Amino acid sequence: MSPRTRWWQRSIGGRIVLISLGLLLTVQLASFVALRSSLSEHAHRVLPNQLKAGERVLQNLLDRRAQTLISGARLLAADYGFREAVSSNDTETIVSVLANHGARIGATETALLSGDFKLRASTDDEPLSLLPLVERLAAQAIDSGQASALALRSGQPYQAVLVPVKAPVVVGWVLMAFPLDQQLATDLKSLSGLDLTLISRPARREPWSVNLTSLDAARAASLAGQSWNEPRDAAAMTSVAVLGEEIGVHDTMLRLGHESDGGASVRALVSLSVDEAVRLPHDLLLALIAITLVAIVVFALGSIFTARRVTTPLRNLADAAERLGGGDYVTPMTGMQRHDEIGELSQSFERMRHSIAADQAQIMKLAYWDPLTGLPNRARFRDDVQHAIGQARPGDAVVVVMLDLNRFKHVNDALGYPMGDLLLVAVGERLTRQVMRDGDVVARLSGDEFAVLLRSGDAALGLAVAERIEESFAAPFVLEEQPVDIGAAVGVACWPLHADDGDALLNRAEVAMYAAKHRGNGAQLYDPSSELASARTLSLMTELRHAVDACELRLYLQPKLALDTGQLIGAEALLRWQHPERGMVPPSHFIPFAEQTGFIHTLTLWVLEEAARHWHVLNEEGMPLPLSINLSTRDLLDQNLPQKFEALLSRRKVAASAFCLEITESAMMDEPQRALATLDRLSAMGFTLSIDDFGTGYSSLAYLKRLPVNELKIDQSFVRNMQTDADDATIVRSTIDLAHNLGITVVAEGVENGQVWNMLRDLDCDHAQGFHMGRPMPVTELSTWSTSWASARRAKALDSALLH
Amino acid sequence: MALGGTCVHAATVSVQVADRGGKPLAEAVVMLVPVSAHLPVRPMGGVEIAQSHRQFSPRVTVVTVGTSVSFPNLDTVRHHVYSFSPVKSFELKLYAGVPATPVVFDKPGIATLGCNIHDAMVAWVVVVDTPLFARSGAGGKAEIDAVPAGDYELRVWHSGLPESNTGVSMPLTVAGADVQTRASLATLGPRK
Repeated sequence: MSPRTRWWQRSIGGRIVLISLGLLLTVQLASFVALRSSLSEHAHRVLPNQLKAGERVLQNLLDRRAQTLISGARLLAADYGFREAVSSNDTETIVSVLANHGARIGATETALLSGDFKLRASTDDEPLSLLPLVERLAAQAIDSGQASALALRSGQPYQAVLVPVKAPVVVGWVLMAFPLDQQLATDLKSLSGLDLTLISRPARREPWSVNLTSLDAARAASLAGQSWNEPRDAAAMTSVAVLGEEIGVHDTMLRLGHESDGGASVRALVSLSVDEAVRLPHDLLLALIAITLVAIVVFALGSIFTARRVTTPLRNLADAAERLGGGDYVTPMTGMQRHDEIGELSQSFERMRHSIAADQAQIMKLAYWDPLTGLPNRARFRDDVQHAIGQARPGDAVVVVMLDLNRFKHVNDALGYPMGDLLLVAVGERLTRQVMRDGDVVARLSGDEFAVLLRSGDAALGLAVAERIEESFAAPFVLEEQPVDIGAAVGVACWPLHADDGDALLNRAEVAMYAAKHRGNGAQLYDPSSELASARTLSLMTELRHAVDACELRLYLQPKLALDTGQLIGAEALLRWQHPERGMVPPSHFIPFAEQTGFIHTLTLWVLEEAARHWHVLNEEGMPLPLSINLSTRDLLDQNLPQKFEALLSRRKVAASAFCLEITESAMMDEPQRALATLDRLSAMGFTLSIDDFGTGYSSLAYLKRLPVNELKIDQSFVRNMQTDADDATIVRSTIDLAHNLGITVVAEGVENGQVWNMLRDLDCDHAQGFHMGRPMPVTELSTWSTSWASARRAKALDSALLH
Repeated sequence: MALGGTCVHAATVSVQVADRGGKPLAEAVVMLVPVSAHLPVRPMGGVEIAQSHRQFSPRVTVVTVGTSVSFPNLDTVRHHVYSFSPVKSFELKLYAGVPATPVVFDKPGIATLGCNIHDAMVAWVVVVDTPLFARSGAGGKAEIDAVPAGDYELRVWHSGLPESNTGVSMPLTVAGADVQTRASLATLGPRK
């Protein structure tokens, strides 16, 4: 969640409330706008009519005023005394009567005209100014007996009437005029609610001035300031802005009684405020606001309640999911009793919880337990080892015994995988039953690899347990009534003696186990010097590749001698690594590794190549010796090996018969059929074949017989001890006899002194190798050695002859 | 008397009265006033101007100087007959029936009569100081018989003339033979 998200984006509840309130306000706003617009529309439709009605009211008012004036004038004209005065031409009386009657009805001007409209008497100081008006009124008066008109005099609009004075025929005319005053606007306002502003100007181009108004002075002035010059449509309403307020005006040009050539004119502006008409009535507005406020509160409460109903269970579900994520599969869900979507979701979560719990248990089992044997697996064992180390008290040791079944693959191939599985189960049971004490752990690490954890103990205890294991394997396993004999290589390592931590301890135990497998003579305690799989091995591969390219590899030859004559009859080619930093690296330090990685192919070919090269050299030096070369298991499994050898030999121009290929017993055991096929082809090519380290494996004689073997090399462990151990001597003797019976040449390895030499010679052994005669040496030294050996032999023979 | 001597030579003067449009005017008053002499006149008797149906009847009355005129009120409402004319200014305040004293018109001229409470009522009394007068008939023709020879001023008046207008006058010489002449008056049309 980015810090820039808004609060409503973080909460469904917030969004629900927001949307509800938003919709409400939108609806309220829309109805308010609709109301406003409808009011405005209504007002604009009605206002012109209202104004027009106002204009009619104004005309009516003016008519009534004229009527009043006429009545007053008629009253005057009908007055007997006045008529008498007129008839008797009593001017003084006439003027006083005029003034008297004028004052009665508020006329500011009253005058008497003769029958032919000549001014006879007037209350006005400037009676002549009335004359233009009289002219206009006269025609109308003659025509209809009376006349009325508006007049503009000194910027002031007047209403004037003319009525005849009859005695009884027309003897004169009475003219009365009075100014249009504020009362007119007041009357209009009270009758129609409309404002009236009367404006006038004495001439075109003059500004309009306000004569009377019901508006305030500023508004009236602003209204008068509008451009009223253009003729306007009498029916329409004109909207003008006055002091920021929209005012609707109905504009009427009032007809003046006198000719106005100069453009003098009077306009009646009947007006009302459009804004006010459009404005919502105050109480309605208040009601709307009140309704909106109440609705907001109700909606807010309602939507908060709804949001809670939704978000509270969601939050509970989120918490539950959090718990599931945290590994808590025990706490049941809440809200499952609901019948809505939340309830369904809760039930789904509940099912998920159960299924995850079950899966988790299964995963735990798969992760930490071997499903076949029911024993802990490597991961679990590793945890246990680390736990044991963590719990160990000072002085305690933690021991790991690791074992690997010998030739388990053979069992699988020969008896089938189901049988192999049964064997593994049986091994697990046997280990658990016969080996384990309380607190010890037996685990199946992989394939045919098992391990035992001894929580407290020492190297001695470890070795004791290892021996018990080996003993327990002495009895064959009976699988489906079929006895299966199987052995195991057992390695032992201790913490803190051999390793600093659990992983290292497992590694050391494995190293010890491989050492045991390699040596084949019982359980092995970890020996730091036999470290193969240490961290160094990682770099070994790189270094080994480099060694081939950088010519760090050397070919050494160990002489092979005929026991009867003591003559040099061959040599075993041995690989040595002259490391620039470590010095001479023993083969045991890199050959097993090369076998593991497959690099042994390269090494074997290198050896054959070098051997072929040296064969020519030796041949030229007068030593046409057959050279022995060691083949590994992997070499035998390589289908293309014979072809590669053939190509190499033809290139080097050496016959196959110049080489003897040595194969260990165990090399034959992993895949006997393929190994045998390879051997047959090599034999057919002309190579001499030899069984190396004979006696360490379990080759049956019948099997041996089937092999195309020419030579057999008795393992040095027997030869070395035959002087002291009668059994070994017997083994050597019977092996020699056996081989000879099968027509196989016998080579004894590990001849370290003259007595053994003599014993072997007496046993009719054919050839011998050993330090007594010569260690492995660089090829160039062989010639020198040969000369010195021959002279030593001669000297010895001489001594012997002399002794006898 | 010169005029008496010429009685045998008396002639008839007929005047055709019309308005400006040539339309014959009835009820026009035509009189002949001798230029140099004065013909004796006698007051007339039994002259009445009644008020009937809120009208004066007759509307135009020609009387000789000194004639008394009575104003019998035939209506049920009262009338207030007056005249502001200089010829004879008088006032008969609200009355019904016949006023006790008739009004004597003792100066020649035209008196306009009205009723103070009925503005529509108007009547004229033409007071002549000559025996030679006549009224035009429906055809606008007025005839004055037995006019002695001599120089006269012919005056023609009609109620349709404006108030201030006393009519037209023209010289007319009568030499024994009948005289026919025309008079045209600028009348205002029917009074309202």
